[in-house]
Amino acid sequence: MQRAEAIANLLRTTPDVWSGHEVAAASSRDTGFSALNALLPGHGWPVSSLIELIPLMEGIGELQLLLPVLRTLCREGRDVVFICPPHIPYPPALANAGLPLNRIIWIDAKNDDEARWSAEQILREGIAGAILLWSNATKDLSLRRLQVAAREGDSLLFLYRPYALLHSASPATVRIALRPHAGLLHAEVIKSRGGKAASTQLQLYDVA
Amino acid sequence: MLWLSLHFSSLATELREPRDVGPAAVVDRHGSRRWIISCNDAARQARIHSHMDATSALVLMPTLKLIDRSRSQERRALQALASWSEQFSSFVTFDAQRWLLWIEIGASLHYFGGLDALMGKITQGIRELGYTFATGIAPTIEASALLTQHKDAQPVHQTKAIKLGISALPVHLLAISISTLDVFRDVGWQYIGEVLNAPRDQLARRFGPDITQYLQRLLGEAADPREPYRAPATYRRRLELSFAVDATEPLLFPLRRMLGELQGYLRGRDMALQDLQLTLVHEKNNAAASTTLQLHTTQSQRDAQALWLLLREMLERTALPAATVELIISVKQFVAPDIAQLDFFDDKAKREQSWSNLLDKLRARLGTNAVKHLGLKDDHLPEKAWCVIDAEKQNTDSAPVSAQRPLWLIQPKLIQSLPNLIGKPERIECNWWQDDMQRDYYIAETPEGSRWWLYRDVQSSQWYLHGLWG
Repeated sequence: MQRAEAIANLLRTTPDVWSGHEVAAASSRDTGFSALNALLPGHGWPVSSLIELIPLMEGIGELQLLLPVLRTLCREGRDVVFICPPHIPYPPALANAGLPLNRIIWIDAKNDDEARWSAEQILREGIAGAILLWSNATKDLSLRRLQVAAREGDSLLFLYRPYALLHSASPATVRIALRPHAGLLHAEVIKSRGGKAASTQLQLYDVA
Repeated sequence: MLWLSLHFSSLATELREPRDVGPAAVVDRHGSRRWIISCNDAARQARIHSHMDATSALVLMPTLKLIDRSRSQERRALQALASWSEQFSSFVTFDAQRWLLWIEIGASLHYFGGLDALMGKITQGIRELGYTFATGIAPTIEASALLTQHKDAQPVHQTKAIKLGISALPVHLLAISISTLDVFRDVGWQYIGEVLNAPRDQLARRFGPDITQYLQRLLGEAADPREPYRAPATYRRRLELSFAVDATEPLLFPLRRMLGELQGYLRGRDMALQDLQLTLVHEKNNAAASTTLQLHTTQSQRDAQALWLLLREMLERTALPAATVELIISVKQFVAPDIAQLDFFDDKAKREQSWSNLLDKLRARLGTNAVKHLGLKDDHLPEKAWCVIDAEKQNTDSAPVSAQRPLWLIQPKLIQSLPNLIGKPERIECNWWQDDMQRDYYIAETPEGSRWWLYRDVQSSQWYLHGLWG
């Protein structure tokens, strides 16, 4: 173990040496949680990529996880789009959390196809700071389309998926399972292309 | 003055929408005689050409589709082209009979950066509208029209150079009566120069005053009496389709052209729009005579491409009750264009512009209410402390809430078994004369670990789930 650390140190301090996970993500955004940053490509939420969040259930802080990065984006004048959230994103709570309401757009689509279509349109335009999309899509093609659209702009794309799809294959750059754990949010990074190896566990957030 | 003349030699076939796929020719008729006035590429490949007798053409190509000309359609197309051209000049005029459009460009040269730059803008714009054309430039209307017939004609800038510029052109191009041209041919005159050299008084005596007046206008010796075209104050463009169209997709191409024309009209007046009406007139013998789509944009708009994308979304979402035979675009009200649509807009304005274009597009497909902006309301009841607002009327200085609130609000749902309550309750009261409300709000945690926001209705003592700590 000590040897591995020594090698890592040597690599870091030697100019002209780039490690794989550093070059993988073009740009990334601080998650606000250093423990989580450490696992992600480019040490943060990767921009222009598909990020999957898979909560075990609702009401475990699955949205609070994103508040730090959303606050940063809003401060920069970038907008945050909720597409087909399962409930009302409650404006007094958003305002309390430091998200100016004039930066929030809530899009309600009739079905999953239209929800993904909306996300693609917004991603392509590249002007939104972050897109939070709730979708039950299972087809690989649907997810790939989102991934491709995400690449065209410079927005963050968070896809909330049902827990039943935890073990299905996915083209996403990052996949994180979210579970409650003794009043904390437990985030398991199950896939992180260009980041650290999967299956590392994290406890990162006090929910209440 | 310097006139740019545009001759639309294939107008009759090119104004047909949807375009004919197979060989097709538009014919004019006089008595029992029919002759071709315009044909498409597929027909031209079979050596069919204008002026050809319809019967001979059918012998050459039995599958040729013959279409009667529609003078009203031709006129409407030229009117739309004239409206479009007003963005480049305050003096635009046309002759629907001869398929000619004139734009006075002498006064616009400096503003648009010289002749080449201006010509580039105009020719590219008209090509985008889907027409082929030939151009001629001269100081008089009639001379510029003649030059459109000469492939390599150089622009004539000086009035005294007109004669030289047109002398070598064949005499039949003169815009005078056929009977006069017949006599010229019998005399043996082949070139316009020969007519110009003939003594003027003798011509007048032989053919009447019309010919000498025409020659005076041609050479700039007398002013041309044409008035500038003035497009009406409200915009309405009607397009009869060349055949009934069932699907929406074939409507998109003519729609693009119509919006291109509209864009020119708006630019010419330095105006934009926020409301546009597209009417699809359906085939007769149908219960629904027409379908009307109302487009409303958040910001003032005049970009043809943006409008086209919006209408395309709306069309794709609309079930048409019957085949469409006619399209009508009408705009009744105009607004000032956004500064962002001028050329020097900054990044922020550009971004806002993109946002409103994007949201308009989403609304066009998902419905107007699908895109929501959020606001706060000063109300004690949590479900009434927020609202959906119009983006345009957005008010950002609402009173902040001090108490902790969950990120997810849900419809109050009666619950039977109570999870673990955490902390002290928050009493929310609402004393109205019509309903008295008292609720005690708690944070709770389910055995699975989900955090709820729930309340006990003080009067009924029943428990409701009202939110989730997402």
